[in-house]
Amino acid sequence: MAPAVALEPLRNGVLALAAAVILLALFLLVERSAAALSSSRRSRREPILSRLLFQALQSSPVDARAFRRLGRFDRRLVRSILLGLALDLRGDSGDAIATLYRDLGFVKRDLAGLRSWRASRRANAAADLGLIHSAETVPGLLSALQDADVRVRQAAVWAIGQVGTPATLTGLVHLLGDRSLVVAHRVQEVLAERGREIADSILRYAETTSSRSGRLAAVELIGWLRITTGADLLLSGMRDLDPEVRVKSVKAAAAVGDPRFLEIFHSRLEDVRWEVRCQAAKGLSLFGAVASVPRLAAALRDHHWWVRFYAATALAEIGPAGEEALSSALHDPEPLVQEMARYLLERGDAVPALP
Amino acid sequence: MIWAQLTTALEWYGAFILLFFFAINTYYLVLTVTGFWRTLQVFKQVRRPDQRRLLRSPLTPPISVLAPAFNEEANVVDNVRSLLMLDYPLFEVILINDGSRDRTLGRLVDAFDLRRSARTFDRVMPCQTIRGVYESSTYSNLVVIDKDNGGKADALNAGLNLSLYPLFCAIDADSILESEALLRLVRPFVDAPGVTIAAGGVVRVANGCEIHGGRVHQVRLPRRPLPLIQVVEYLRAFLFGRMGWSTGNSLLVISGAFGLFDKRAAVLAGGYATDSVGEDMELVVRMHRYRRERRQPYRIGFVPDPICWTEVPVSFRVLRRQRTRWQRGLIDTLVRHRAMIGRPRYGSVGMVALPGFVIFEMLSPLVELSGYLLLPAMWVLGLLNPAGAWMFFVLAIMYMVLVSTLAVLLEDIAFRRYASVLDLGRLLVGAVLENFGFRQLTVWWRVRAFWEYLRGDLSWGEMERKGVGA
Repeated sequence: MAPAVALEPLRNGVLALAAAVILLALFLLVERSAAALSSSRRSRREPILSRLLFQALQSSPVDARAFRRLGRFDRRLVRSILLGLALDLRGDSGDAIATLYRDLGFVKRDLAGLRSWRASRRANAAADLGLIHSAETVPGLLSALQDADVRVRQAAVWAIGQVGTPATLTGLVHLLGDRSLVVAHRVQEVLAERGREIADSILRYAETTSSRSGRLAAVELIGWLRITTGADLLLSGMRDLDPEVRVKSVKAAAAVGDPRFLEIFHSRLEDVRWEVRCQAAKGLSLFGAVASVPRLAAALRDHHWWVRFYAATALAEIGPAGEEALSSALHDPEPLVQEMARYLLERGDAVPALP
Repeated sequence: MIWAQLTTALEWYGAFILLFFFAINTYYLVLTVTGFWRTLQVFKQVRRPDQRRLLRSPLTPPISVLAPAFNEEANVVDNVRSLLMLDYPLFEVILINDGSRDRTLGRLVDAFDLRRSARTFDRVMPCQTIRGVYESSTYSNLVVIDKDNGGKADALNAGLNLSLYPLFCAIDADSILESEALLRLVRPFVDAPGVTIAAGGVVRVANGCEIHGGRVHQVRLPRRPLPLIQVVEYLRAFLFGRMGWSTGNSLLVISGAFGLFDKRAAVLAGGYATDSVGEDMELVVRMHRYRRERRQPYRIGFVPDPICWTEVPVSFRVLRRQRTRWQRGLIDTLVRHRAMIGRPRYGSVGMVALPGFVIFEMLSPLVELSGYLLLPAMWVLGLLNPAGAWMFFVLAIMYMVLVSTLAVLLEDIAFRRYASVLDLGRLLVGAVLENFGFRQLTVWWRVRAFWEYLRGDLSWGEMERKGVGA
């Protein structure tokens, strides 16, 4: 028995769909009109409020009286303008913005936001507090570091990086080994910018932590921040059995450039991991030591492009002895060696941007 | 007796088509709504200082931008200039001249003071002979590869061989990226380091936009109906559709015009397949397969806000080539990876995405065409009254219009790229117009693609560019 296609349901379906399309089109129109109204109101109010804000920020002490009786729309706009300004301004202007932001009750509102049941609201509140650079927000942000939601913890880490004193930044160091890689990375970013103030704490953490990922992150930071007092730690790291520790340590050592690294860089040119060999060659280019020439010339035969490239670069950096080694590599029976030597000798100033 | 059986069979098939129309449009509706929901989720996570943070962070991975070019002399210089102006801490632009017959290479040499370089590289991926590598003396991060013609996939493999960085962004040389596009697209890699292996970005229609010096200055809709309809189509299928699929880590297509990949993951999966015309989809499916077979955690994401602008065909001839190629690529990928379909081992990809693509993307033109043929046949045979046929046709169209209108509405809520109300009206007109002629034509071209696929046609066909920025 074949199914009978009845007309009535089809007709009803068409009518329902037509109604839905019309409703959607109407909703689109209403939504766009509402947005246009709000945008026009914003463009009318923004210059007025901006002028008022600039006057208030320039007065000493900051005068928030003009904003006390603002409606909800204007208050939202003022908050948004202040946050936009806070993104770019530091120093006295930044302090004035923070004062006004606090006087208008926005700090209190954001601190309350940190306790919201919605994670996105908590994360936004933390990020906004970070923009304001106000020390009074630090306790709230420190407690947000314990939040169950990764987004909130990330935002809190970033915010503490913007606001925090060396003491609060020290409190972030142990999060380099956080169970969430994203949070740990955010801590690394913050400390890469401001970690010089707490170099000793980072070094101590790297020496004592039992967290492998935390140790690796701290070693990386030692390289980024060029913490010269970390040379001993890097020396032992370069001999570590864990290949990841060796990779990070050699990379950091190549950035720090302590003279004691020369010999170990030579030995690391024969490491089983190409990343270690490559970083060792890169590190040797810092020293420009003639003693490195035979080792680097041998590294030109490495099967990995990056090792050959950095070995050739290091030879070029060493000066006449290195250039001589590169010139003789042009006659090497191995085409890979010849090609790399030719590239380095011919490239002139065209140096690729390197990671 | 036979007549009775035939009419019963036809009536059953008619009912099947009715159900199929309902199912396919519901499929698009669900994808659109899921994609919109996911877009809002992503927007909630992006905060004001994020781009600046990424610009300064030592953890932001460097990117090699690979741009294959074939006979692109009209726009290549402007486009490379716009690529070099991208906001990103460390990146290189590798333009691969894939055996162009015009002055693509000559224009690049003149504009960027290119000099032949002895730069060496590891032959990680096989590719056609590289005739020369050029480096710029003014831009240290620009490399041009001149190679024998081997197709887009081959050119990308050549680019992979020369790329220095751990991530690569595959784009079309004629694509225009917004200045922050890479910073936005890299977010999934920074947020889930080591887990994200690929991320797709939104591709939008550049026709009609005001473009100077390789930058989109004002977003406008094209005046002609053919590209206008494609704007609606791109919104529905490429924006919300792909966003929807990415929700369950089941995204199968990252457009060849704009996608970011972990180089190591792509190379381990085998790089681009040079014997496929759908190399972009094929690579993504292969990456899924490689990871799932080894039970390695991974994520393939889609970022709704990075914007890549591309020129869409303005003539039916070029559109036909493009659509048949897309369909052949789809068939080819699904046939190659048929072992994944319906297998729980491949998780949501094998159980949901691939069957969905087989039914609603690959086979749908066959069903739709048979519907177009069957309805008049049933009417002629007296099995369907004209009112019923007409009603069914209107019902199918109304559902499609509904999905497209919803996509336009959701675009307006989430992005509002088209500023004027008039543009919105034109988008709605496009949503209706696409059902009269455009859709039927694309169905026919996609059916023809089956025949071309069976014949083993691997041609790309030239995409004639008018030059949107001209």
